[in-house]
Amino acid sequence: MSQVAAVRKPSRPVIGATAVAEAGATDPPWLRARRDEAWATYQATPMPSTRSEEWRYTDLSRKLQLDELVVAHGDRGPGAAAILPDALRRTMEQDRDSAARIVDIDGKVVSVELDESLARQGVVLASLRDAAREDDGDIRRLLATRAVPASDGKFPALNAALWNDGVYLRIPRGVRVERPVRLSRWVSRPGSATFTRIFIVAEEASQLSFVDEILSPDFETTTLVNTAVELFSYRGAQIQYVSLQRLGRGGFYLANQRTLAERDSTLDTLNVALGGSVGRVDLNASLLGPGAHSDMLGLYFGDADQHFDFNTSQDHVSPNAHSDLLYKGALDGSARGIFRGIIRVHEGAQGTDAYQTNRNLILSDDAIATSLPNLEIEADDVRCSHGATVGQLDAEALFYLMSRGLTRGKAERLVVLGFLGEVLARLPMGGVVEKVTNAIVAKLRGV
Amino acid sequence: MPGNEVIQGLGLDDYKYGFVTDSEPVFRTRPGLDAEIVEQISARKDEPEWMLKRRLKALRIYESKPMPKWGGDLSELEDTLRQTYFYVKPQEQMERSWDDVPENIKETFERLGIPEAERKILAGVGAQYDSEMVYHSLKEEWEAKGVIFDSIEDGLKNHPELFRKHFGTVIPAADNKFAALNSAVWSGGSFVYIPPGVELETPLQAYFRVNQERLGQFERTLIIAGEGSRAHYIEGCTAPVYSTDSFHSGVIEIIVNRDAYFRYTTIQNWSNNMYNLVTQRALVHQGAHMEWLDGNLGSKLTMKYPSCYLMGEGAHGEILSIAYAGDGQHQDTGGKVIHVAPHTSSSIVSKSISKGTGRSSYRGLCKVYDGATNARSNVECDALLINETSRTDTFPYIEIDEKSATVGHEATVSKIGAEQLFYLMSRGMDEAEAMALIVRGFIEPIAKELPLEYAVELNRLIEMEMEGSVG
Repeated sequence: MSQVAAVRKPSRPVIGATAVAEAGATDPPWLRARRDEAWATYQATPMPSTRSEEWRYTDLSRKLQLDELVVAHGDRGPGAAAILPDALRRTMEQDRDSAARIVDIDGKVVSVELDESLARQGVVLASLRDAAREDDGDIRRLLATRAVPASDGKFPALNAALWNDGVYLRIPRGVRVERPVRLSRWVSRPGSATFTRIFIVAEEASQLSFVDEILSPDFETTTLVNTAVELFSYRGAQIQYVSLQRLGRGGFYLANQRTLAERDSTLDTLNVALGGSVGRVDLNASLLGPGAHSDMLGLYFGDADQHFDFNTSQDHVSPNAHSDLLYKGALDGSARGIFRGIIRVHEGAQGTDAYQTNRNLILSDDAIATSLPNLEIEADDVRCSHGATVGQLDAEALFYLMSRGLTRGKAERLVVLGFLGEVLARLPMGGVVEKVTNAIVAKLRGV
Repeated sequence: MPGNEVIQGLGLDDYKYGFVTDSEPVFRTRPGLDAEIVEQISARKDEPEWMLKRRLKALRIYESKPMPKWGGDLSELEDTLRQTYFYVKPQEQMERSWDDVPENIKETFERLGIPEAERKILAGVGAQYDSEMVYHSLKEEWEAKGVIFDSIEDGLKNHPELFRKHFGTVIPAADNKFAALNSAVWSGGSFVYIPPGVELETPLQAYFRVNQERLGQFERTLIIAGEGSRAHYIEGCTAPVYSTDSFHSGVIEIIVNRDAYFRYTTIQNWSNNMYNLVTQRALVHQGAHMEWLDGNLGSKLTMKYPSCYLMGEGAHGEILSIAYAGDGQHQDTGGKVIHVAPHTSSSIVSKSISKGTGRSSYRGLCKVYDGATNARSNVECDALLINETSRTDTFPYIEIDEKSATVGHEATVSKIGAEQLFYLMSRGMDEAEAMALIVRGFIEPIAKELPLEYAVELNRLIEMEMEGSVG
């Protein structure tokens, strides 16, 4: 299959007002207005520079030339779903069971499959573009307003102005979706910029797990994928969101994720970064009601000149909520890993339990790890701790394994897998563990 | 939350040093800062041309650098500085005997317990009053061994080559805005030289007192510890309580040569109207050992991060930091360790207590450069919050460019645990005793490092203020 390779000369506009107008051409008026407003915010917001604390270690002026990118418009026809690229098809085949699947190619949803029985229970899974056009009221109220609004920064504004398509998923009250809902994304066009939004609402006491996997071939030129993820768990609901970032080299993955967890709800996230040349994830978990809980997991494995930057925050607004973050990374070649995390315990958020751990394994002389685990605490009845470590492979563990007859290479692979495996063990989801383990093993062959 | 009164009982909030001494300075510059004032300061000190040039250059750097946007709230500082006296000369010359120090100034230091401490346990004492050192002395036995302990001005005058070789090499004027300011208007501070192999058995102490309202104090200290030497330097700081804000911005440069050991202890107990923005840095050479013991109890806002640059193989740096932030205070403190050479090791331990509307922030950096093989560093921060309105932050930066480095950071934040209280009370203590015991236990690991047996002033701070009238 080579349809994907048949890339046409890009004729779409560069990032600008024309692109905004085009993105909103078929939108209802409220959404067009929202895009215009976001575009104004984007223009009024300076490009983040390394002089700002949050971008200190990722120099956009060197890594991303926005004006050279062409806005992806996902303009393939309705037959696209039938001609999926091989790599995407292969990874989809590895997914074991799914409750539903949505496929997005170059920023456009090409197919949506939802289990009959779930549809009957009122579960809604749709292209966000279509859903916004029909609007159930909630979209208008919540889209790019509460979770990832344009006012959050340069890229949230850009996404709110230019998003082309994405996922709308709504789980009605009390409905439990036992198997994962999967989003499979593919980016094919070198030098393109794709803007996608994921919008998930889990109503009271409902349950859902969602896997967002993205792949691409290697690119000669920088190719941007920008994703805004808005997750809402209402009272007593449970959401697990997993992002599997497996772009090819040349890919620049830029994600803004926010989870809003209301009373007694659980909103867990797992960010896995394996691919692309640059990955930057801004994740904010807001604990809005007592009893809310967020596990925040991260796993990254960088080699060659890969650059991964995670910027997380845990906002304890309400008392008696719990959040627990664990980000672990291994860095090989001249890769660079940056973790910057902050726990903010707001005034009055008594009884907060918040933890934050970042651990890094440096596998080569040229790899660099930077860790900035921060705390800001404005309540006194709290339990908070954070820890960060940077180290190399444990010599004793290696020695032990080698004394049992393993070669050095095998022993090293085992230790790294064990180190990173701790993260996967905290959120074992069908298909994800195997895929990630295989990807790590493939990378480790070079160690 | 019980126990406000208990914590008050610990005495941390009672400021005993807020008295004003009635004394007329012999000279002071007009409020504010410009090149003319810098020239006046330099002329008063009868300085060589090169120093004046440096001061003027530093002034230009200061003016060109923006006010920091991080750390504490500096929004009112520019207004404060416009009305600040940058130089106030309290007496004509520095004295070598307490008897010659003017009566009212001497009295001030007596109330602070300094001359008594000197007689008992110190190798040498320097006392700064407003902008100048008013007193400096060193016991004869140490002078005979070649130890130099002088005011910084006399260091420049009497040891010009040694001074010029090292001055500004550890902290250049361009390092940060306040280092530039200090480099332009510095006055007072110590010049210390410990010859190779000399081991000082008792500490040197410098005492900094601000008396003049709206004063800016800019002490500058340069310390050179020779190969294989050992010494301990203590500084203490207090000031009267005025309704206007004062400003203290010191620069401390320390060179710890091969295999030497140096400990620098600060007990900062400025009144709550003082901005305290200090740059302290040590270059630690091969096999040498540097310790910063940093106690921040006073001031309105302190921003201070003592640092160790571990330049030679096997160098070791240690920073012990304790901060107490009471109502309206912000202690933005911490430490930096920079590993440049192989087999270097470092440790930072920070403990803070925030009470009332106080805020304590730990801000630190651990940097390991490529090539600093087998570097090891560990950072531990613990924060205790007493009230609902108290606040604490932790901002550690960890930057590792070396594969074989091992670096860890741990921090915890807690309030006094109900379980701990219950346990102690079940053993027959009343609540006040139990609270006090827990607070003492919390700061114990650092408090025990303080040279209790030495300076009276330190004893006061630790015993009276930390332990207080318990039971």
